[in-house]
Amino acid sequence: MAFQTRRKYCFFKENNISTVDYKDVKLLKRFTNDNGKIMPRRVTGTSAKMHRKVVGAIKRARTIGLMPFVDNGSE
Amino acid sequence: MRYYELIYIINSNVERKKVDEIMKDIGERLEKAGSKLINHTVWGKKKLAYPIRGNTYGTYILAHYNGGDNEKLSEFDSWLKLSGLAIRHMIVKLDKEPEVVESLSQEESEEDTSKDKLEEKKEEKPNDEKVEKGESEDKTKKEKTDEKDKEAE
Repeated sequence: MAFQTRRKYCFFKENNISTVDYKDVKLLKRFTNDNGKIMPRRVTGTSAKMHRKVVGAIKRARTIGLMPFVDNGSE
Repeated sequence: MRYYELIYIINSNVERKKVDEIMKDIGERLEKAGSKLINHTVWGKKKLAYPIRGNTYGTYILAHYNGGDNEKLSEFDSWLKLSGLAIRHMIVKLDKEPEVVESLSQEESEEDTSKDKLEEKKEEKPNDEKVEKGESEDKTKKEKTDEKDKEAE
């Protein structure tokens, strides 16, 4: 029985995006899980270059209160 | 030439007049530091992802400016932190020259409201269907239980 692996592909390469803005929370939420943690590259399939940019943008968004550091649904 | 982006949050309970005053104050301070303001607009009232200084909502204000005197700019940074005008602020260096934005808040708010309305409409429909489905399921369950009762008899 062969495992059917889903082919992962860089979201940014598919959509031709070269810069990541920390104010674009809708986009950044794609790369965090329900707890607000940044998902690893092996899960999202993002290229190394863009993943670094995403991580930086998420951290900026966190400091200015646009994204949660921890979201455990206790609001 | 270096370009910077300043984003800061003001208490959302502050009146509009006072928001304008704060913006004016900050703008003047920046110009004193030898930098030129490109944009200075209200982004809008947003819910904070986590409470900051006891606030759950905040008015976001966005400013773009080009670099002036470095020492004075770092002084401005610490002044903004100590003044207590903003709940929180962040200064980011930009890679490219920012575009001139006239009114960021109005466009955003209009888009948001229209989107919200659409979403509400979308949400309403499936809810109705679910309710109907739920009723039908209940009926089938009832029938099944009736059958079981009959068998038991």
